Amino acid sequence: MAEFDEESNKLTVKLVYYGPALSGKTTNLMRLHDLLAPELKGEIMTLETQNERTLFFDLLPLGFRAPSGLLIKVKLFTVPGQVVHDATRKAVLSRADGVVFVADSQRAQGENNAESFQNLEENAKRVGLDFDRLPLVVQFNKRDLPNVLAEEEIMQRWGVAPWPIVFASALIGGGVRDTFIKLLEQVYPVIDGFFKLDELHHVDAPAFVKAVAGLS
Amino acid sequence: MSMPRLSSKRWRVFLERAVEIYPKHFDREFSLKELLAGNTLERLGHCLDALLGAPYRLTSTSGALLLGEADALAQPRRIPIHHDLEPLGYLESEQADEEKFKAAAALIELMLQVSARYYMAAELHIESVQANYEALKQKHVALQESEASYKALSESLEQRVQQQVQTIETAQRQLYHAEKMASIGQLAAGVAHEINNPIGFIRSNLATAGGYVDKLCHLAALIKAGDNIQLINFWHDADMDFLMEDFGALLKESIDGADRVARIVAELKGFSNVDQAEEEVADLNENIRTTASMLKSRFEGQAELKLELGEIPRVLCLPGHLNQLFVNLITNALQAVPRGGSVTVATDVADDTIRIQVIDNGHGIPADLLQKVFDPFFTTREVGQGTGLGLAVARDVVNAHGGRIKVESSEGKGATFTVYLPLGGPNTDNRKPSTTE
Repeated sequence: MAEFDEESNKLTVKLVYYGPALSGKTTNLMRLHDLLAPELKGEIMTLETQNERTLFFDLLPLGFRAPSGLLIKVKLFTVPGQVVHDATRKAVLSRADGVVFVADSQRAQGENNAESFQNLEENAKRVGLDFDRLPLVVQFNKRDLPNVLAEEEIMQRWGVAPWPIVFASALIGGGVRDTFIKLLEQVYPVIDGFFKLDELHHVDAPAFVKAVAGLS
Repeated sequence: MSMPRLSSKRWRVFLERAVEIYPKHFDREFSLKELLAGNTLERLGHCLDALLGAPYRLTSTSGALLLGEADALAQPRRIPIHHDLEPLGYLESEQADEEKFKAAAALIELMLQVSARYYMAAELHIESVQANYEALKQKHVALQESEASYKALSESLEQRVQQQVQTIETAQRQLYHAEKMASIGQLAAGVAHEINNPIGFIRSNLATAGGYVDKLCHLAALIKAGDNIQLINFWHDADMDFLMEDFGALLKESIDGADRVARIVAELKGFSNVDQAEEEVADLNENIRTTASMLKSRFEGQAELKLELGEIPRVLCLPGHLNQLFVNLITNALQAVPRGGSVTVATDVADDTIRIQVIDNGHGIPADLLQKVFDPFFTTREVGQGTGLGLAVARDVVNAHGGRIKVESSEGKGATFTVYLPLGGPNTDNRKPSTTE
């Protein structure tokens, strides 16, 4: 759950990019860092990688100050996708306010996607998140590659699920911001319900999305 | 993830301390004080002294002093120290060179960034190690539970095996008993035949004797009347000379027959105590003779039963059981020989051991079956004809007497079963045959 620090008048929202190994979670963050121009934008913090694979997590802090003076920080994390790092993945997922599940569109990756998604569901329950109510967007990444599942095939399998499906090419940039905005749109009502963003801080949903995901 | 080599107890202590040291989450918001904790702050102070060469103050956003002058500066310039998106504190100075002042602030920000990276990685590591440890503990509990259930299973398994063994033992005992009853039944048939014969002629003799008595009564009446002519006529007609002679012979024959029945009954007593586990000193030759005479009639005209009994000492034994041994061995041999064949039972003694041999000249036992003849339920006879227990019981009886039994045979040349019984007596431990248990 988002944390409100009364002393420094600050609300911190945590969003997590989850998914199988090499599906493009870090690339999503890097692309967002380039694309977005929020009022406040930190550097991407990359914790120890091994052969370009995430060992701990990546962190991109974004933020803006509400008209009320409240500092709203949105911290984007990625988890390590490799199966062996499950404990780390679980720790990073803890306290998440929303999740982007980055799936690999390549035909051969269907099973890895399914396993990772199941892992997300299990870990969410383990760290005490209500998976049924957790804001979630499923992104099918790597649309630019050959030999990917057709959109119709993907929609056949995933279309019945309640989560928005976004097709993306993180390497090129397509769909990355759209994914992020779809997540913010789901996250806003939850946070607004708790912290009365609109009523007390005069930040409604469009303003929230624009402030965090505004284009540069 | 590799863990330090610590015992589980030390590892737990380590983790508990780790959790005490890092009670917060890796993704929490850090304060300036936290990020510059330890002697980092002191060393940073020295650097700032040297770099700025003028009084300065490093404070948190709330005004708490971390480094520099204790008292507020009169007209300070102020640079916010940012981390992430927001200022965590301020660097203030009045006289420091502008360039150096900015460089000092940038240096502190850089340190905060490095420090935050370290703390986040370390605390995430602690969190995941603890999660792994918790998972291990849960696995340990699960393993203990499964071990306990396996233990319970193995215990109940043992119990079930014991029950099965008991069932099998009971069934075996019943079968052994059935085998005993079957051999007794066979004996009874022989005995009935043996007794029937004398009873038959004794009854016939007594009927004849009854007729003789009638004639004698008539003769007595004639004598009383004193009619000599009639008396002489009757004497001749009734052939009283033959009657007087035959009456005596007839009575003698009947007494012999009755004696024979009495002897058979006496012999039968040897078999009436099959189930008695009382030890007695017995002459085994006598037992063999009894058994032979019991069996003889059953195989009358089919096979010859010869006894070549040497002089052997009396031994302490269970005569009832040995009788069964002899019945089984001799019956087995008699059944194995073709019509006109012969079975010889021989006894002798050598080296404190009594040797009893049952030799037949039948068709013999094939070499591949030789090892199996003492196995329970092994039989070459038609279903219902043999229990397959005769020789197994024989072996048990011999074992119970501390002896041993062996079989020699080659196909077509008959078979020889040899029993060795120790004179010194068996070990008392296994004296009791399993058949009586």
